[in-house]
Amino acid sequence: MIPTTPRGFRDVLPTEAAWRQEVTRAVCDTFASWGYVPVETPALERLEVLERAGALSDTPFRFFDSDNNLLALRPDCTLPVARLAALRLAGKPGPFRLCYAQEVFREHGSLYGDDRAFGQMGVEFIGADGVMADAEVICLLFDALAASGIEGFTVALGTVSVLNALVAASGANEAWKEGVFRAFHNSDFVEVRRLAEAPEVAGEYGSAVAELLRIRGGVDAIERCRALVAPLGCDVGLDELRCVYELVCANEEQGRLLIDFSVISSFDYYTGMVFKAYAPQVGHSVATGGRYDTTLEAFGRKGSAAGFAIGLERVMQVLEVQGTCPPQVGPQETVYGTDAAEVFARAAELRRSGKRVAIGGVR
Amino acid sequence: MERKNLRIAVPKGSLFADAVDLLTRAGLDTTGLSQPGRQLVISNPGVDFIIVRPTDAPVFCAYGGADCGICGKDTLVEADLNVLEMVDLKFGGCRFVVAEPAAAHGRAEASYERLGSLRVATKYPRITKRYYDSIGVQVDIVKMHGNIELAPLTGMADRIVDITATGTTLRENNLVVVGEVLASTARFIASPASTRTDERVRELAARLEELTRGQDKVKVTAGGASA
Repeated sequence: MIPTTPRGFRDVLPTEAAWRQEVTRAVCDTFASWGYVPVETPALERLEVLERAGALSDTPFRFFDSDNNLLALRPDCTLPVARLAALRLAGKPGPFRLCYAQEVFREHGSLYGDDRAFGQMGVEFIGADGVMADAEVICLLFDALAASGIEGFTVALGTVSVLNALVAASGANEAWKEGVFRAFHNSDFVEVRRLAEAPEVAGEYGSAVAELLRIRGGVDAIERCRALVAPLGCDVGLDELRCVYELVCANEEQGRLLIDFSVISSFDYYTGMVFKAYAPQVGHSVATGGRYDTTLEAFGRKGSAAGFAIGLERVMQVLEVQGTCPPQVGPQETVYGTDAAEVFARAAELRRSGKRVAIGGVR
Repeated sequence: MERKNLRIAVPKGSLFADAVDLLTRAGLDTTGLSQPGRQLVISNPGVDFIIVRPTDAPVFCAYGGADCGICGKDTLVEADLNVLEMVDLKFGGCRFVVAEPAAAHGRAEASYERLGSLRVATKYPRITKRYYDSIGVQVDIVKMHGNIELAPLTGMADRIVDITATGTTLRENNLVVVGEVLASTARFIASPASTRTDERVRELAARLEELTRGQDKVKVTAGGASA
């Protein structure tokens, strides 16, 4: 039998590994330049802990250990970092600006062609809320994506607040409400429109929910949304969204920020702004994030939080499509000589001048 | 910077003619698309039509091979991929039904009573699973690749879940419909990235919605959802 790696896991050879490290370093340096400090969390978590904050939308690998604890390989980093903040930083006042670059693992059925392990680089800004904190997180995402080398990216920004308010005020039954959220999470716009016209919801709430999907653009989009939902008393969080939008636009030159109310993440823990970053010619988002103010509470710490994760594999895919060159690796010089001590000394000297130098041999 | 052509996945087979007609009415240059011969990609000014198997249209949209496309709702449920379901195009109507041999009336119920589980043969395991989950019936799904009608006739399964447009094949094999699973029509689908970064996808979706508004959907009456 020829030994292979498990499906969705792979070895990374030198040129690519060096490239991935370079990109990771550039992104992490950007995090650091905004005052974010790194943390690491264990690859394995107790499943019950991860599930405390709500249903996991990504299926983790599960294991029993010898104590019969049900464990899971971390399927994302936000929940572990929230747990860390609640547990290890308990009693400290905050706010905390934390960042990470580590692998996550997700179980997929076969034949989807998906990786089951991928790198995530992200930040969690814990214990701060409001316009400044939201804008900080998005600006940092812009800087990090630019540092990664991606050109011409778009960040689509929405909020779950308006949809939540509309659904809460709709007066419809629970089944309808659940249906609407499920259809948004599944990106099933046809189902959203079907539910919008259903008899169990008052017409003006239904049509507002369906109309939300269409609204995108700049400040004008926020105002169109306000005109749509203010008469129903559901214009929640729009002033803040506008301030965030204007703050980010005033400070970021690379990339483009678009308001898009159809952006609702498949994670159900977001409570305010949500955003996804896209690059041309790549089908999936390269980064996703938002505000999740209730997650920390599930771990026993009061406080708000926002953050994002950038997918390393997705970034690498974009860099390849746009024709970015990988970094040069391997020795630039190889030193030979008649005396071993001299070879080592000469090589050391060359390295001090900034070269990559290999030891050749004695001839 | 010159804009790349918009890439649209167009399904071969029964949806093809209606899809081409609708795309033409939406104002796209579909020259040569209705008679593609052996060509798999038809490139016209501003647009590339990628001719795909209907089941592959969501795959193209999910993995960046196309910006948008057309496929049946059934394909979408079965594929279970990350694509945006934008517009119900209201053609290509078909139903997914549960059927059993007319002669075996009551046998499936008796078997379920005794074993607590039904054996169902289908080409569409996800649609079938989703349906039985929704009505709370335990089911053993046997995945087949064709001539599903044979499964209950040979005693391999209690029932089948299959697609039907007119019901002729079912009738010819003495099968009767005992449940409605899903009514399917063609959908306009799109890649999440293209939808959020390329205005042309939204514009096309809006035109298609305009063109199909007010048309009658295939009506499938509720009820009859027996196990």
